[in-house]
Amino acid sequence: MHPETGDPRRGAPSDGEVVRAVLAGDRERYAVLVERYRDRYARYAARMLGSSDAAEDAVQDAFVRAYDQLAQCQDPNKFVGWFFLILRNRCFAEQRKSRSHVSLEAASSVPTGDRSDAGTETAERRRALQEALMGLTAEQREVFVLKHVEGLSYIQIAERLNTSVPSLKMRMHRAYDKLREQLRDHA
Amino acid sequence: MRRLGLLVLGLVAVAATALAAQQSIAARLSGRASPEIVTLVQDLGSSAARRGLPIDPLIQKAIEGNAKGVPSERVATAVRLVYAQLDTAAAALRSAGPNSPPDTVEIAAGGFAITAGLRGRDIAELARTGRPAAAVTVGLRVAGTLAALGVPPAEAVTLVSASLRGGQAPGDLLALPGRVQSEMARGATPAQAAAGLARAAAAQARHGPPPHPGPPPHPPAPPHP
Amino acid sequence: MTKHEFDPQVKQLLDGELTLADLPAELRQEGEEALRLLAAVDREPVSLPAVTWRVMATLERRRQRRLTWLLAPALAAAAALALWLGRPANPPAAASSAMVTVRFVLVAPGAHQVSVAGTFNRWDPSATPLVRSGSADMWVATLSLAPGQHQYAFVVDGVRWVPDPTAPAIDDGFGRRNSVLTL
Repeated sequence: MHPETGDPRRGAPSDGEVVRAVLAGDRERYAVLVERYRDRYARYAARMLGSSDAAEDAVQDAFVRAYDQLAQCQDPNKFVGWFFLILRNRCFAEQRKSRSHVSLEAASSVPTGDRSDAGTETAERRRALQEALMGLTAEQREVFVLKHVEGLSYIQIAERLNTSVPSLKMRMHRAYDKLREQLRDHA
Repeated sequence: MRRLGLLVLGLVAVAATALAAQQSIAARLSGRASPEIVTLVQDLGSSAARRGLPIDPLIQKAIEGNAKGVPSERVATAVRLVYAQLDTAAAALRSAGPNSPPDTVEIAAGGFAITAGLRGRDIAELARTGRPAAAVTVGLRVAGTLAALGVPPAEAVTLVSASLRGGQAPGDLLALPGRVQSEMARGATPAQAAAGLARAAAAQARHGPPPHPGPPPHPPAPPHP
Repeated sequence: MTKHEFDPQVKQLLDGELTLADLPAELRQEGEEALRLLAAVDREPVSLPAVTWRVMATLERRRQRRLTWLLAPALAAAAALALWLGRPANPPAAASSAMVTVRFVLVAPGAHQVSVAGTFNRWDPSATPLVRSGSADMWVATLSLAPGQHQYAFVVDGVRWVPDPTAPAIDDGFGRRNSVLTL
């Protein structure tokens, strides 16, 4: 993940400019934000929900919701951070909704990118870990994904989720133990 | 003598209408269906006309099958299925009460609802709301659309019945699928979304019909500096 | 600490605060197990190209829904006349002001031509071509349709019939799905 500074491309409008244009009535400009950020958290959503299909639905729904609530985005230049929280809520809601159905079905659908170059053994280990991740609570899975998939530090995660580093570590350490148990049971 | 004359005129008129219908079917299917399908639709069309069923859905299905390159046999099966669905819908609408017989528009809407997954008794329940045929027609289309979105038929019927009984205008009914999709975007399942809207509609029904809807919402206002 | 729990130092290894070399000898094996766990993490980027047009199509469709309430009272009159016997489903002239503008959007990467076919154009794949708009993969068409019930699908490169992913869908009776438009 990158810091929320908006689009670094020279000459492109900033997130704030686009948000203000959309709120002023230029609806079509919203596509700029969608195009800019649709893949930014796609991997996070895919790891949280267990499949790219579920991630696509969640990211799409989050963008629609963000459009509905755009006037409430307090700092338009920080659209992407605000959008992340909407997507996060959507992922957690999905988890609550499908708790009893999530694990094996979701984990068995191979996420985008897995098919390409990884050997069978690597692919199998990845699949097993994703399945084990789906056995964690959403909060445990999230801290694992943000740190080990997205590469954020504990401090960065704490800022993003408005929580403390010690409580994140406690969550993470429980996740490590649960993952170990699940992977051993299915080895 | 006069009565006989009128009877003959009447029979001639019926025959002429039937012939016109056959010719109309042939004209619409010309170049768009195989000869066997044209014959089938003409046969079913005659039967449909006698039973008060709409013919257009049969013609549409035949044209669709041909356009999609589907073998004639399969098109024939699909057209017969449409006929059966229209028949089921008509029977369900008639069973709903001693009101005037359903018109072809209502039946076509019922046929669509059945294609979407509703059953005959669902159609009958919507017809029993006591609303005028035009409102029931919209209700059937909307219920079918909700089912096509994934709302279980029972929940779709509950929502549309509650809305019809609440005296909602056709425009409000037509907005229901979009509202369900919005709720689904917020994380609700189709069933949950429909149930929530049904509760709101039922509450509205208890407190009387809604006021006349105002103008569409304006785009979001810019934030204050 | 049960037998399933990693040693606290191994957890520090997992957190990136220690290296394998920092661990005492008796924890090396557990440390290697922990690192194998991390090695299985899938960090492949995920791309969702369809999201852009799906979001914009959803927003457009909702906007059209809000417009149709103005036109709904003419619905029953227009449809009733249109469905008489075998007559084509065109609204009578008096109700022509009740037509609804609908925008069809499809993202079809690699497509050379896209059209929309349905009950409103006799399912003719050549009647209503879409045109590219904005991104090379996005195809759009805008039609005025009579209020009522319509079924349709997109036709890609003249051969592939594809339902609209953003619309409700029903079985077409031929093993595929048709998209539904209720105006």
